Amino acid sequence: MQQKKYWQNLGELKDSEAYQASLNDEFAEELPYEAGTGMAAATAPRRDFLKYLGFSTAAAMAAASCEMPVKKSIPYLNKPENFIPGVPDYYASTWVQDGLAVPVVVKVRDGRPIKIEGNELSSLTGGGTSAPVQASVLDLYDMARLRFPLADAKEVTSFEAFDKMVAGAMAGLGSAKKVLLTATIHSQTTLAVISKFLAKHPGSEHITYDVLSASGILLANEACYGKRAIPAYRFDQARVIVSLGADFLGTWLNPVEFSRQYAAGRQLVPSKPAMSKHIQFEGMLSLTGANADDRYVHRPSETGAVALSLFNALSGAQESNPPADARLRKGIAVAAAALKAAPGAALVVCGSNDPDVQVLVNAINEVLGANGTTIDWSAPLNVRKGMDAEMARLIQEMKEGNVGALLVHGVNPAYDCFDAKGFTDGLQKVPLTLSFNDRVDETTKHCKYVIPDHHYLESWGDAEARTGYISFQQPTIAPLFKTRAFQTSLLQWSGENVEYGAFVQSYWKEKLGSQEAWDKALQDGLIEPVSPAAGKASFSSSEVVPAANRIESAKKGGKTELVLYAKVSIGSGKSANNPWLQEMPDPITKATWDNYAIISYAKAKELGISVDDNYEVEVQKPMIRIKASGRELTLPVLAIPGMHPDVIAVAVGYGRSEQTGKAAAGVGQNAYPLVSFNGRTFDYQVTDVACEKTGDQYPIAYTQTHNQYEGRKDVVREYALSEFKSHPKLLLEQREKLAEDYAKNSGDYRAEGTLYPNYPYPGPKWGMSIDLNSCTGCGACTVACTAENNVAVVGKSEVLRNHEMHWLRIDRYFATYRDDSGKDDLDSLNVVFMPMMCQHCDNAPCENVCPVNATNHSSEGFNQMTYNRCIGTRYCANNCPFKVRRFNWADYTGADSFPDNQSDAKLDPAVFQMNDDLTRMVLNPDVTVRSRGVIEKCSFCVQRLQEGKLKAKKENRPLETGHEGKWDVRTACQQACPTHAIVFGNVNDPKSPVSKVRDEDQTTRVFYALEQLHVLPNVSYLAKVRNTDRPVGLSVAHPEGVGGNHAETAH
Amino acid sequence: MSLIKYESQVREPLIDGHKTYHDVTEDICHTIEAKPTRLWYIGFYISVALLLFGVYAVYREVTYGIGQWNLGRTVGWGWDITNFVWWVGIGHAGTLISAILLLFRQRWRTGVNRAAEAMTIFAVMCAGQFPIFHMGRVWMAFFTLPYPNTRGPLWPNFNSPLMWDVFAISTYFIVSLLFWYSGLIPDLATIRDRARTKLRKHLYGIASFGWTGSTKHWQRHESLSLVLAGLSTPLVLSVHTIVSFDFATSIVPGWHTTIFPPYFVAGAIFSGFAMVQTLMLVMRKVMRLEAYITVNHIEVMNKVIVLTGSIVGCAYLTELFMAWYSMVPYEQDHFFKYRIAGPYGWSYWLMMTCNVISPQLFWFKKLRRNIAFTFVMSIVVNIGMWFERFVIIVTSVYRDYLPSAWSIYYRPSIWEIGFYLGTFGLFFTCFFLFAKYFPVIAIAEIKHVLKTSGQSYKEKMGGMEKLSARAFHDNVHHGDEEHETHVKVAHH
Repeated sequence: MQQKKYWQNLGELKDSEAYQASLNDEFAEELPYEAGTGMAAATAPRRDFLKYLGFSTAAAMAAASCEMPVKKSIPYLNKPENFIPGVPDYYASTWVQDGLAVPVVVKVRDGRPIKIEGNELSSLTGGGTSAPVQASVLDLYDMARLRFPLADAKEVTSFEAFDKMVAGAMAGLGSAKKVLLTATIHSQTTLAVISKFLAKHPGSEHITYDVLSASGILLANEACYGKRAIPAYRFDQARVIVSLGADFLGTWLNPVEFSRQYAAGRQLVPSKPAMSKHIQFEGMLSLTGANADDRYVHRPSETGAVALSLFNALSGAQESNPPADARLRKGIAVAAAALKAAPGAALVVCGSNDPDVQVLVNAINEVLGANGTTIDWSAPLNVRKGMDAEMARLIQEMKEGNVGALLVHGVNPAYDCFDAKGFTDGLQKVPLTLSFNDRVDETTKHCKYVIPDHHYLESWGDAEARTGYISFQQPTIAPLFKTRAFQTSLLQWSGENVEYGAFVQSYWKEKLGSQEAWDKALQDGLIEPVSPAAGKASFSSSEVVPAANRIESAKKGGKTELVLYAKVSIGSGKSANNPWLQEMPDPITKATWDNYAIISYAKAKELGISVDDNYEVEVQKPMIRIKASGRELTLPVLAIPGMHPDVIAVAVGYGRSEQTGKAAAGVGQNAYPLVSFNGRTFDYQVTDVACEKTGDQYPIAYTQTHNQYEGRKDVVREYALSEFKSHPKLLLEQREKLAEDYAKNSGDYRAEGTLYPNYPYPGPKWGMSIDLNSCTGCGACTVACTAENNVAVVGKSEVLRNHEMHWLRIDRYFATYRDDSGKDDLDSLNVVFMPMMCQHCDNAPCENVCPVNATNHSSEGFNQMTYNRCIGTRYCANNCPFKVRRFNWADYTGADSFPDNQSDAKLDPAVFQMNDDLTRMVLNPDVTVRSRGVIEKCSFCVQRLQEGKLKAKKENRPLETGHEGKWDVRTACQQACPTHAIVFGNVNDPKSPVSKVRDEDQTTRVFYALEQLHVLPNVSYLAKVRNTDRPVGLSVAHPEGVGGNHAETAH
Repeated sequence: MSLIKYESQVREPLIDGHKTYHDVTEDICHTIEAKPTRLWYIGFYISVALLLFGVYAVYREVTYGIGQWNLGRTVGWGWDITNFVWWVGIGHAGTLISAILLLFRQRWRTGVNRAAEAMTIFAVMCAGQFPIFHMGRVWMAFFTLPYPNTRGPLWPNFNSPLMWDVFAISTYFIVSLLFWYSGLIPDLATIRDRARTKLRKHLYGIASFGWTGSTKHWQRHESLSLVLAGLSTPLVLSVHTIVSFDFATSIVPGWHTTIFPPYFVAGAIFSGFAMVQTLMLVMRKVMRLEAYITVNHIEVMNKVIVLTGSIVGCAYLTELFMAWYSMVPYEQDHFFKYRIAGPYGWSYWLMMTCNVISPQLFWFKKLRRNIAFTFVMSIVVNIGMWFERFVIIVTSVYRDYLPSAWSIYYRPSIWEIGFYLGTFGLFFTCFFLFAKYFPVIAIAEIKHVLKTSGQSYKEKMGGMEKLSARAFHDNVHHGDEEHETHVKVAHH
């Protein structure tokens, strides 16, 4: 038998020498050092290897550290006196737009105005502001502003040349009529300038045109009180407020003042629980309606009928034709009873522009004894003076060729007039057309001459929003462009060679008596009368019966009615090119960057639009075509609760022209063409419209998709006043129970219930308290935060993808209640507004998940972000139960290390507008501009904290955090809030307001959002209390909360 | 010693078709030595195209930002982390087969372990792309490493599960790579020895680290395998446990679940075996390896699939039970209103169907041994497991605590899809190259079992079980000797 040979490898088969050697050495191999030497004697031993390794790594690193671009900053050659780079100056001024005026203080950093604060010396606003006020600083740096005067669309190089041209043109007109068309002006000096101009040009006329008109009130007051004026309203004095469609917290007359008053009247002191009662009657859901205790919906065409019915109920007259809707009738009865029960402390306001309705409202207030108590005639409101009929007359005269010259200032009738076409046609027949507007807007486009006015931050001036309450404007920066004050132009053309600034100064110096008085007034920014007693006007009832008769015989509305309204953010549309305002979510719909048709669920169902779970999560909304009085508008729809089933609401102020600016162009559609003139006043409602679904879809960028809080009482708490009175400690007991459950051993909820150590905070510890009862949801804080913290604008396309960057958002929840039959009672709508920002949790879930320690906790209790440490895993954002962390999804600010990566990332024009060198002047140099790929969030305005602490340290005194009204540190949102809903301060200081609120004054209302998660937030809230008998969120009967049933199931 | 080596006739042969040692070498090496087939080229080019598309998608994302993806403030993780967890899970089967089954002396593993290990490595490579490139500033990714630095030094946050991931995944990758490569060395030496060109000889020579096949080498090789198997075994359990901590330690309802570690591991093995099936079924067909990857192999793996699938199913039901039992409204709402129903309800039911219901069909032996059915099922399971991760990640965050922050509908952008496709490209490019240049079946290891589980041996031993005990013993002894000597023959 042949012997098999097995072999492992070829060496073995051939039995080579090498194989023999390896066989011998197989289990006795030396380590492969260099032959014959030991380890240390080798020519390249281990140490050398390490040296080479170290050197080559270092060399590679040195080679890799590329050269950074050098940016030069040039210091002052001659430093201006009293000016320290990096230290801001503050100047008092006044924001004026569309007749509204808010006294402000302007923060100027290194010569640039960068932030607007309210002027706290004002007794009207108390330092409050609104979103448009906060955003106005951005308009200063608007790229679309005109940079020089124009004649026939060509630059005019000098004002002298321009004056010569205008003088020539005016001389050529002969005696033809010259018309100066402006918005409401209540500046004494400007009115003086205008009268000089009118005197110089005989036959000329000054016409005031208010796009959001109050002619109805002016006419009614003329009829009832013999004064074509608007009284001051005292919402703080009223125990019962009934509003008939007046959005006085949002856009009606003077909302900043009204908001402060309203919140004051609803300030709840737990020891004496009392607050005003607010009942709202309206067709659409307004911001004010959302804050009302009780709310009743009706058709817009029924406003007169409601007023009449209320009047009859109050005066005990026989009702001939009460409203058909039983609930509305009940509401009127309830309102009447409530009003009657508060004689001398009741107030009825009405947003209608119909003089007849306003006459009835005057009559109602007369019955209630409001005249002289809650209605104050001692210092009337001057914010609206325009008579609508005059505008109609002007258009007629222009068309007939009877106007020789039209000088337009601060208005834009070619865009927003009820008869814009008539206006532009008429303009063709006017030989001399001149605009003072700051950009080539729709009207200016048609004007032969354009001499742009200054921005208000570049101007001298004054304002008198309420008679006797005067506030001043002073330049905070030299004019950026070749612009000239409109008043200076008028003075020049009146033959007076004087600058308006000098004119203002001499006028007020004379009026106030001395330079010192003027200096003080200018420094304070305002002068106010010594608290005048409420004035009364004599009432004449002669117009009441005719007005009632006219209302009774008024045409009934059709099936569907349309209301035009102004948004809190965009208002009349003047600031349409302001990206901050465009991106500010609407308080009610939470939509940005568009206007749309708001409809009820019932209407949606009728139109064949299903409002289901998918409707909520899909941004594409069905479009409808609205046909009214020969005009047509195709808009996407948003269905929300709280709308009258047959009312469609559309916001004005959108659909601006291309030249208005990058941000404004192409946003929304112009709804002004649906405004009509009824012979006396503008009509902002159309009582008969046809609408149909078009089948098209359009994306709406909204920041909140889900509208209910799903009964999650730990998110937001609300009470009925009666409940609060009977069980004031309900909330406190629930919180104590929670602490008991979690901290069985020690009773210390803070320390127990977490793995992590309980850190002491020996120094200051920052905390914030937000009173949900005071918060009206207006959004001023959101814009203030944006301005203070350089929060990026991302544009519609990014908001559509949930990429908005707001550090502070206002959560808006709708809650409706289910009756016993399981049907949702849509009329019993409760709306809660809850400002939500980083809660600065002491046991923050975001902090422990960050792999690189980019977010951590400060020794003063706030959760801080280190942007340059962040690598952008977004784990913190996922783990944040409040979802307040914001990620830089793209290079929104141009601060990225990748050059030129914005345009291909498909960002909107608004982003590029914000990144223009001019616009970037608005940035706050104290706050880092974040680059792409990092997380950011509310920092509790840490730059302000540091500044305040340094200031106290330099002055060698303890930090003031609000005790006796002294503040070293306030956050931007706190400062902007017109209702003082936000209190911020050192919670370790028992005297600070925030400690007082939490530990003394409001202990029974304090709650922390999602407290049972044991994240230990540093932001506390005060529960919302409603002065109503309806079921409200937290109740003894439903301790788990009854709020937040599903309005969407009701369709 | 020898009776243990005898394999009962009840067990089917692990290698069909009367193979000899030489046949084994030839069968497995021929694909390496021959020119690639047309099919290979087609597949390879498609893979490279996908890879390039993925590279472009990632380029866009790195240059223009994560905003190229459709994630948002609420859904901060979407396809990126879904794909990460999915790929990591896929990897698990390879380690399980090579390490745990080695320790348990499951000899059927030899047919599939090499390819499964390769799959592990490529899958982990793919998985690793996602947590790296989902970073907003990927060029700062090294911040996650605890390297000595001049910032204090500033260390990473050792509390963060993402930090743990960095270690878990990198350890796993390194150990798997070592394990795979050390197993390859004898086979690479075989190819070196068979090489007919200089270049081939040179390259395989380098790759085989001077393997001579000496007893010493074999002894070290076996020890190393055992050590690495010992190291890998806890990794099979730990890696996905740590990946599950990304979710389990968070406070998001639907993530914050203590059941996650075992549930994730079971799911990983489940999906991993499905992926092995997908690959093997194609490979055995294309490379004509039916003799080595037999129906028996497929059936065994199907058994693992039905087991792990059932475990996963139990976990799903436990989650629902716990949500109800916990009385936590956020959990209850999350599971009962927004996960099994709501806008993403379809994805939950797709997951349930693919992962829980359909694998139960493998209780039928006929279906377990049906190749076409197994192939379809393997795809179904992988789809299901992808959706499991999607359901966990997206449907948890899109509706968490504050209803105000709830999200719009999340759909991936083309670049998110592109990134995912790109990892498929990477995976298959690697796999095609592997199949072309490396032995897809462990030559040396399969030879281990040839003489005990090969068809010829089984047939030869066919009559033995009828013999008397004495005769049986003698025969076994004889056969065993033969076997012992045969084992040494590693190189023909």
